[in-house]
Amino acid sequence: MSMRRLVPTLFVAAVALLSVVLLCPPGFAQQPVAVPDTKQVLGLEGVKHNSTGTLSIEKGTLQFKAGKKKADLPVTSINDVITGNDSQRAIGGFIGTLTMLGPYGSGRFLSLFRTKIDTLTIQYHDASGGLHGAIFTMPVGKAEDVKKELLAEGAKTTIPIEPAAIGQAPASPKKEQKP
Amino acid sequence: MKRAGHCCVFAFLVAASLFAGSARSAQDKKPQKISASAIQILLFQSDEVKLPAEFQMALYEHVIEELQKAGKFEHVYRDGDHAAANTKDLITLRSNVTGFKQGSERARQVTTVAGATSITIHCQFVDKSGKVQLERDITGKVRFFGGNLRATYDFAKKVAKEVQESF
Repeated sequence: MSMRRLVPTLFVAAVALLSVVLLCPPGFAQQPVAVPDTKQVLGLEGVKHNSTGTLSIEKGTLQFKAGKKKADLPVTSINDVITGNDSQRAIGGFIGTLTMLGPYGSGRFLSLFRTKIDTLTIQYHDASGGLHGAIFTMPVGKAEDVKKELLAEGAKTTIPIEPAAIGQAPASPKKEQKP
Repeated sequence: MKRAGHCCVFAFLVAASLFAGSARSAQDKKPQKISASAIQILLFQSDEVKLPAEFQMALYEHVIEELQKAGKFEHVYRDGDHAAANTKDLITLRSNVTGFKQGSERARQVTTVAGATSITIHCQFVDKSGKVQLERDITGKVRFFGGNLRATYDFAKKVAKEVQESF
């Protein structure tokens, strides 16, 4: 084979190889999980109750950031992760309370509109062995992803994820309980 | 007739003084307050009743928070805290959920009268020797405003009130 014919062939092969490397997603590299619009109902020290922020798991640490306040928790200190589901008023907070005063039962009518949410409850131990609990609510379908990531990073659970649930789409995860 | 009226007034005064005396003696017989410098809160058990995990944790965290706010104890230890073992006059709060009715926030807001959530818990305050110093059935409820978890806050407030009265 002459050099003239070999160069284009090698060039095409190199381009093909490069495009494969660039286009294929890194299958085994762990992506850090971050869930915005997560509400910390209670339990994390240094963060107010019912504060909304971003829950993320990266490098073996669960982090919750709400504005300037943040709380870090080593994932290995978590000894139980439980997911559930609930619902909340579509119009919440202070405005939601004000709508209750609306005329002709309009407040009651608005109460009928609710959005589904996921709940995530974790139990963890501090340095002196004291048990803590934290409760989060997050957009529907996210709690199961967070649980999977926590278990992958070394957290424990009393209710393991069922194999069928692992293969399911995140939009319709299998729930352990319906409180 | 006039004499009968005097007799009635006299009888009324005697009865009133007797009632006041008995009430005062009842106040004097108030149970002695229990002395303890620290309390340890154990995780709430629910052997008979299936209690969702978030309720269990919310009960535990709210009770710890309310007892810390009450300021009756120098230390409020959590379940599993190693430091609690060295405390001499430690009281342990053991709790068992005996009743749980999960209502509906939507039903509460729409109907006002339906959808209440209630949790009944048998609480035992036990000293280090294992003797039960105080035993109560306390119920936390949410009837009108707030989510279902607010029943756990109501329960914690009642526990703190009980502690204020008895310790």
